Amino acid sequence: MPLSQKDVAGIADYARIALTGDELQEMTAYMNEAVELLKPITEYDLDGVEPTFHPIGDLSNVMGGDVVDASVRALPIDVALKNAGSSEGRYFRVPSILGTEEGDR
Amino acid sequence: MRSLQEVLQDWEAVIGLEVHTELTTLETKMFCNCKLSHDDEPNTNVCPVCLGMPGALPVPNKKAIQSIVMAGLATNCQIQKHSMFYRKHYFYPDMAKNFQTTQGPVAFCMYGHLDLEVSGEGASERPDGVETGTDTVAAHDVAAPVTVRKAEDGSYTVPIRILRIHMEEDAAKMVHVGGEEGRIADATESLIDYNRCGTPLIELVTEPDLRTPEEARLFMEKLQQTFRTLGISDCSLESGSMRCDGNVSLRRRGTRELGTKTELKNINSFKSLHDGLEYEIRRQAEVLEEGGIIYQETRHWEPSRKRTVVMRVKETADDYRLFPDPDLAPFDLSDEFIDDCRARIPELPDAKRDRYIASYGLKRADAAQIAGDPVTAGFFEEAADGVDARVVPTIANVMVNLVPAFDALTPAQVRSISTLLASDAITFAQAREVLEAVNGTQDDPERVVDERGMRQVTDTGALEPIVDEVLDRCQDQVQQYHDGNKKVVGYLVGQCMKASKGKGNPKLFNQLLRQKLEA
Amino acid sequence: MANFDQLSAAQIAAGVRAGDFSATEVARASLDAVDAREPQVQAFLEVSADLALKAAERTDQARARGEELGPLAGVPCAFKDNMHLVGTHTTCASRMLENYESTFTATCVQRMLDAGATPIGKANMDEFAFGSSTESSAFHRTNNPWDTTRVPGGSSGGSAAAVASGEVTVSLGSDTGGSIRQPASLCGVVGMKPTYGAVSRYGVVAFGSSLDQVGPFGRRVEDVALAMNALVSPGRDPFDSTSQDCPIDFLEHLEDPIAGKRVGIVPQLMEVQGLTDEVRDAVNGAARALEDQGAQVVEVDLPNIASAISAYYVIAPCEAFSNLARFDGVRYGYQEQGCATLAEQTSLSRAHGFGEEAKRRQMLGAYLLSSGVYDTYYYPAQQVRTLITQDYERAYEKCDVILMPAAPRTAFKFGELSDPTQMYASDMFTISNNIVGNGGVSVPLGLGRDSGLPVSAQLQGPAFRDRMLLQFARSIERAYDASGIVAPDFAGKGGDLA
Repeated sequence: MPLSQKDVAGIADYARIALTGDELQEMTAYMNEAVELLKPITEYDLDGVEPTFHPIGDLSNVMGGDVVDASVRALPIDVALKNAGSSEGRYFRVPSILGTEEGDR
Repeated sequence: MRSLQEVLQDWEAVIGLEVHTELTTLETKMFCNCKLSHDDEPNTNVCPVCLGMPGALPVPNKKAIQSIVMAGLATNCQIQKHSMFYRKHYFYPDMAKNFQTTQGPVAFCMYGHLDLEVSGEGASERPDGVETGTDTVAAHDVAAPVTVRKAEDGSYTVPIRILRIHMEEDAAKMVHVGGEEGRIADATESLIDYNRCGTPLIELVTEPDLRTPEEARLFMEKLQQTFRTLGISDCSLESGSMRCDGNVSLRRRGTRELGTKTELKNINSFKSLHDGLEYEIRRQAEVLEEGGIIYQETRHWEPSRKRTVVMRVKETADDYRLFPDPDLAPFDLSDEFIDDCRARIPELPDAKRDRYIASYGLKRADAAQIAGDPVTAGFFEEAADGVDARVVPTIANVMVNLVPAFDALTPAQVRSISTLLASDAITFAQAREVLEAVNGTQDDPERVVDERGMRQVTDTGALEPIVDEVLDRCQDQVQQYHDGNKKVVGYLVGQCMKASKGKGNPKLFNQLLRQKLEA
Repeated sequence: MANFDQLSAAQIAAGVRAGDFSATEVARASLDAVDAREPQVQAFLEVSADLALKAAERTDQARARGEELGPLAGVPCAFKDNMHLVGTHTTCASRMLENYESTFTATCVQRMLDAGATPIGKANMDEFAFGSSTESSAFHRTNNPWDTTRVPGGSSGGSAAAVASGEVTVSLGSDTGGSIRQPASLCGVVGMKPTYGAVSRYGVVAFGSSLDQVGPFGRRVEDVALAMNALVSPGRDPFDSTSQDCPIDFLEHLEDPIAGKRVGIVPQLMEVQGLTDEVRDAVNGAARALEDQGAQVVEVDLPNIASAISAYYVIAPCEAFSNLARFDGVRYGYQEQGCATLAEQTSLSRAHGFGEEAKRRQMLGAYLLSSGVYDTYYYPAQQVRTLITQDYERAYEKCDVILMPAAPRTAFKFGELSDPTQMYASDMFTISNNIVGNGGVSVPLGLGRDSGLPVSAQLQGPAFRDRMLLQFARSIERAYDASGIVAPDFAGKGGDLA
């Protein structure tokens, strides 16, 4: 079943990408075309095939030490904030978070 | 609203907990080498990784993985050798990448349990004769069967199953400005401090095996004791390094189908956990008894008003677009790694309690209390080191009843005061006075006792004349004793103490008086 | 004296070391060439003249102190603009990051600098690497130095064009689905995508984390080998969990003969729709050239290769959605002004900061990862990935490397491929190697019979056999006498070593 404009609007809302009416129409057409292109994936018999989430398979248990490297990577406050569109004192600043749901964690 | 006891006669409360614990004892964050912040200036301990700068990549902290495996082993979990980190997406600025790195269906630790001993008043919350079934949630068949073992005195033991403990990272702290009392709803802007962002966090999820607020409180207490003993966290509910959400629903006694649950948040003390759940159980019972409906929602506990209020109604399940994190290699833990973690686990509270009972003959309650806190237990063991075995229960008694009132006693001082108490050289009241004097110093309590001439006379030869004098003087009371009023001895002991100017040992006076009266 | 664009990287380093010319002179020559050629090429988004001259000066001072110079001493180098270099902006050719100043330097960039390279600037690209033509750059197009009415390929189009035009000696690009090998092919230069994990991704703005790999461009196989040595030394990067130790030295066996080795050809791939005759014939010619040098050509089968594109267009958008979620206009990036709520600010910042293709891919990814849909596409795509990996493993039992086109056709005109799904097909020969993670290199085969534009062959090899790939590439280069060619319209324009 193709995606409706309502479906796509829902995804856009989740992905925080504002779309105008025209853009929504265009995006819906694009997504349906793109999803159609992916069909071969759904037609495989994949019973018992393990997925490969990480290429070059045998890498595992990669961990680092519990050692502070402040001199190597920690950012001074001016560098940390220099690309921020809005800051206040030592803080990053955002407008009212009303209507923004905190995740469940 | 009806009382909890009344409600629980008719309804069974089904409670599950989700407990987040920051690994505060580590040096660095979960996926970068930034120092773990405690009271640092905002955005001091940040780097490209924990600020989610484009191009930054995560590297897991080995000590954090060791810590969670230790937590799993200590809570009887099965350690999953193969697991992965996943990305959990939601747009909220306290997550610098707009996804949280967490674990997927397989956590490092799965299917464990903790046994709770519920006694005293708390045990009465659970109505008699009600057994928890084994069929609550069949998520894991390997854990201990959920059966309640009741004792004669009403206390009982119940295993609480743990579904999983997974590894993840904590979020940034936000300050909401411009609103009343920092409330989100009225805030005109929010400020973000990423110091906490990326702090190693372990999330434990229980099965809904808890049935009373007291059990929930005890579970959290036991978890706190266990994690503190492992040394993986300071587990402070007040500061938020240990956080707990409670899920609670009600069902009619005798039915099995689960009711709609609500999620309780903002629990920052054991009391809040108990009282919040109690309120929620009573509230739900009232709604249901009036024919109302419980909505699946998140509710906020307001301790000052002693009520819960709705934060958020969950109409549909959140879709977090979880998928395995391609930036983090999968885990395939070796037996050596797990064995090494096991070897790092110190004696846990239950084992320690049992050892104290077996080797020192401590009272169960005293043993449990001392064993529950690693600092207290260490203090106790140092105080008890090399001491005559008969003195150790007195040390435990002092630890439980006197020491908590002081902040700077040494084990040597406790050993000394306990030895004096055990030999009846001073009274408990005198011990308190002496400890007040030596608290914060290196002074030996025995010296203070001698200086102040507090040492009681324990030589019967010296006390006998006083007893004889008192008995001679108080013929009326002697007569009352012989008439059956044995309690009058207390008065006579008091007279002896007065006559000895407080130096005589009251226990010895008591003995001598009884001997002479019965003679 | 010669124009610097005629010198190999090794010759420049040797010349600097010997005192024939200074690193500063080479840097000035490169900057001079950039001045002269950029108006027609437009390969750069930012020219870092100050950084370049300072780095060159440091190299010269080190020499004056008698210190040992690095293997890339004084070699002018460009970096794709998704790689951080402190002192430059890193824009990913997006309005979203138009003003973004690098807060740290990427490991790959640092390693090139540590080897003595001179950073000339940041190269244009498709926005966030989404594309195959560099046309989706938010700032300007880059022209193919062989025909400036045509695209340089992409997404690392600027990196390829800067090398092809002789503005720099080597450059770095990143390859998620062919973004090094395809533009190298269209611009007639050598471009290598090493095995996934060989080169650190730390500091390279991620597109598809399980697919991305950084690699070098050069006009000579030897230059690429020299750059590879710098990129993999001194071993794995502790800041990238997926980084691995990679065998060196890439120069050691470069000139060894390939006699007795086996070259695999996949007949199915030589017949795919969209592959032009001139490219097919040229690749077959390369196979004969290798045969002439004693290699054995064998047919191998990759039965599931056709699904690589579908698997890729599931995996890549999902990873892209996730990686680009962080661009919310809070900590960095374009921020819409005057919004009352955060939700509004985030949605408008992303709507106005990202270009069309970036939005499309994220939307597709957000859909494909949603619950239910994940099981229909994402999970099966990763299973198909396993099948393709197994195909390659079986193929490499029969051959040492596989030879195929790098791109189905030579450089196309601007705007010629406007339909995004049609554009995706230009990566059809390169994508499978990103799916499995193996290394691949594209090597020029001279100019196409029909188009008169550069044509390349692609060599693919098993994981971490990247040295052998370059050995084969060198054999082809030798046969075609294709070493060191600068696009004729630009060769010698500015850049004389005084």
